[in-house]
Amino acid sequence: MSAFTKHRPPRSASRKRRAAAAEPAGPGGQVRDGGRARRRNHRRPAKPVAGTRIPRGMRGPVAVSLLPGLLLFGTFFLVPVFVLVATAFARWGGLDFAWVGLDNYRQMFDDPVFFKAMVNTLFYAAASVFIQVPLGVGVGMVLALRPRGWKALRTIIFIPFVISGAAYALIFSMFYNPRAGLLNNALGALGLPGDRDWLFDTATARWAVAGTFVFVIGFVVVLVMAEIASIPTEMYEAASVDGASTWQQLTRITLPLLRNVIGTAILIRLLVDIGMFDLVYILTAGGPDDATATLALYAYRAYLNGEWGYANAVGSVIIVIGLVLIVTVRRTFRIGERAL
Amino acid sequence: MVKARRTTVATVSAAAILAAVAGCSSGPGTSDSDTSGSGEVVVTCATCQESPTDPFLQYNYEAAQRFNEEFAGDYRIETIENPNAGSGDDRLQYYQRLALADDLPDLFQLNSGEIKAMQETGKLHDFTSSLDADGDWAASFHDQAFDALTGSEGQIWAIPQQRDAIGIYYNSALLEAAGYDQFPETWDDFEDLAAELKQQGKIALALDGDWATKLMWANLIGTQPGGAEFLGEKIVELDDWGDDPTVVQATERLRDWHTEGYVNSDAFSGDFQSAAAPYLTEEAATVPNGPWFVNTNLKTTGAAEGLYENTGYAPAPGWTDDGQGSVIVSGAGWVSGTTDERELEAVDAFVKFMTSEDEVLAQAQETGANPPVQVDATATAAADLEPLATGLIEQAVDLKYSYPHARVHGPAGLDTSWKNLWPAYVKGDMDTDEFLQRLTEDSASSAQ
Repeated sequence: MSAFTKHRPPRSASRKRRAAAAEPAGPGGQVRDGGRARRRNHRRPAKPVAGTRIPRGMRGPVAVSLLPGLLLFGTFFLVPVFVLVATAFARWGGLDFAWVGLDNYRQMFDDPVFFKAMVNTLFYAAASVFIQVPLGVGVGMVLALRPRGWKALRTIIFIPFVISGAAYALIFSMFYNPRAGLLNNALGALGLPGDRDWLFDTATARWAVAGTFVFVIGFVVVLVMAEIASIPTEMYEAASVDGASTWQQLTRITLPLLRNVIGTAILIRLLVDIGMFDLVYILTAGGPDDATATLALYAYRAYLNGEWGYANAVGSVIIVIGLVLIVTVRRTFRIGERAL
Repeated sequence: MVKARRTTVATVSAAAILAAVAGCSSGPGTSDSDTSGSGEVVVTCATCQESPTDPFLQYNYEAAQRFNEEFAGDYRIETIENPNAGSGDDRLQYYQRLALADDLPDLFQLNSGEIKAMQETGKLHDFTSSLDADGDWAASFHDQAFDALTGSEGQIWAIPQQRDAIGIYYNSALLEAAGYDQFPETWDDFEDLAAELKQQGKIALALDGDWATKLMWANLIGTQPGGAEFLGEKIVELDDWGDDPTVVQATERLRDWHTEGYVNSDAFSGDFQSAAAPYLTEEAATVPNGPWFVNTNLKTTGAAEGLYENTGYAPAPGWTDDGQGSVIVSGAGWVSGTTDERELEAVDAFVKFMTSEDEVLAQAQETGANPPVQVDATATAAADLEPLATGLIEQAVDLKYSYPHARVHGPAGLDTSWKNLWPAYVKGDMDTDEFLQRLTEDSASSAQ
C-alpha cells in the first residue's frame, strides 16, 4: 500500500464489528451497509426538483413567504448596488448632487495613485494565488496523510484564520516594529541588520503587508483535507496494483481531483484580496507614498473626503474586476463540474 | 387545516415585514419624547456617554447627570450611546450621514476641522444670537477662543470646551544626565541636547507620524516670523507650501532630526502610542502633547515609576533667543443639530452650564484640559489643578509666539496625506520641493 492509500485509513476490525452489529440485518440476512445503498437509491428523484410546478393552491403562501427574503435582498443588496453604480456617474457628497457622466472615471484613470492602488491590489491577489494557495494545498495534502500530531498541527494552522483582521494587523504592526519588533530583534540576534522599518519603507512595505496574510493557510488546508477525505480509497488501491508510484498517485489522482477545491480557494482569496481594506488601513493606512494602498482603501479615502460619487466609481471598478476574476477562475478551474 | 397554515404563514410574513420596516425607522437623533409629559424638554447628547478610557467623555457624562439634577423638570439630557463619540477618522462621516438624514443629535462635539466640513451641510446651529443675547457669558471667554470654531460669515458653530497651550513634556532626570538642568530655549540647543542623548543611547524626541509629528512641525513653523500667518491663513491660500520659506526650513529641520537618529525609529505609524510608549518607558527624553497627556498617559500604570514627578512641561524652543512659542488650541466644541426653539433653549442652558466656573474647573481636574473661559484666580488655586498644565498656560501669555496646530486651519485631507507622504520623504524617496508640493495638493484633493 502506498503512502497515499492512507488518506482514508480502514476502520479497525472492532469498529467494523460494532458498526455491523449496530445495523439491523437486511432482507436475506445481509448486513446493511449503513443505509448507503438506500440513500443511493433515493439520491436522485425521477424528475429534477427545479422546474417542478408549485401546486396552484400553494402559490399565494409561497409568494408571501418569499416576500421578506426578497424584500431584504432588494433592500440590502440590489438597491445599494444600483445606487453605487448609478452614483458613480455623479458628483455627490451627500448634499450636492449632479450628473457628471464619465468624469469620475476620467479623473480616476488620470490619477497615478489609482494605478498604484490597482497594482498593489493585484500584487496582494497574486501573493495569495501563487504563494498562499499552493502552500495551503501542499500542507493540506501532507496533513491528509495523517502524520503524527496532524490534528494539533491542523488546529494550530487554522488559528490565525479565526483571528479578526484588525487584531491580526495589530499583532503584525508589533512584529514589524523597527524599534522593538520581534522580526528586527530576531535578525539582530542572527547578526543581520536589525533596524529596518519594514512597513514604512517603500522598498519593503508591500512585501511586509503581503507577509501578514500569505501564511494564513488554515482555510485552504481544511478545504483540501476535506476534499481528499472524500476521494475513494479504492482509486489509490487500484493505482497501486497497477504499479503507480506515490508521486504518480499524487499528480495523477489527488491533484486532478483537487481541481474544484483549488479553484474555489483561489476564487475566495481573490474576492477577499480585491476588497482588502482593514489589514492595510491598520498597518500602514496605504503609505508610505501609497506603496501599500489598495483599491478599497483608495475608495475609502475618497469617501472620507466627501467624494461619494467618485468613491462609488472606484467601487464599481472593484465589482467589474471581481466579476472578471469570477468568470476567469470558474472557467479555468471548471468549478462545479465533476472532477472525473 | 391547509387554510389555517396559509393564514399563519401570511401573518408571520406580514409581521416580519412590519418589524423590518419599523426597525429601520429610528435613528440617533430621533427623540420621540422631546418633551416629556411634565413639560420637561429632553435633548439628545451624542458625546455624553460613560467611558472608562476617555476622560473627556466620562466628564461629559458626569456633567450631564449634574445638569439633569440641577434642571430637573425643565430640561433633561438624554445620552445616546455613540461608537463615534471620540475623535477618529469615522466621526465626521458619521455626523455627515446623520446631517444628510436630517437626524443630527441635539448636542455633540466636533473639532475645528470637522466643523469646517460640517458647516457645508447647513445643519449646524449658529450660536451667535445666544452669545449676543448674553453679553456677560460671551465676555467670559478667553480672547480667540472662538477663532477655530467660526464660519466664513461670522457664524459661531460651536462653544469651546477648552483652551489649551500645548508644549513639550520632558524627563528632567534624563536631561540632567545629559548635562541640562532646564529645557532648551532654542532649537540649536535642543539639537545639542539631542546629540548628547543619542550618545547616551536615549531617544531625544518621541513622535508618531501624525499628531505629535505635526505638533513639532507647527512648533518649528510657528516660532519663525510669519510662521503663525502660514498656520492661520496661508495654509489654506497657498498652492504650494514650499513657497513659504518658514515651512521649508521647518520641514527640513524636522526631517533631519529623524535622519540624525534623534527620533524614535517607529515614528511613522500614525498612532500616538508610538510616541507615548518610549517616553513612558523612559527611553525617550521628550514628547510633545497637550495637557490631557497627564491623565491619559503620565499618571497611568503604563508610565515608569516616578516619571510623573520627573516630568516637566515646556513651550517650544525658538530659532533665536527669546523666540519661544506654543500651540494654542480650543479643542473640540459643543455643537447642536436641532432647530426646535424649545430644544435650543435647553441646548443654551447646557452649554452655559458646561462653561460655568464650577464645571470648567471640574473638567480641568478630571481631564487636565484648561478652561475656555476666564476663571477667578482664587477659585483656580482652590481647585488644585494639574500644575504641569496650568504652568504652561500661564507661561504662554508671555511667549513671543502663539499659533494654531496645523490641523486647525489646514485642509481636511492633511492628516491622511501627511501619514502617507512623511515616511517616504524622511527616508529620502522625494526632496523637500516635491514633498511640500504633493502635500499641498494631496491635502486639498479628493482622493488623497
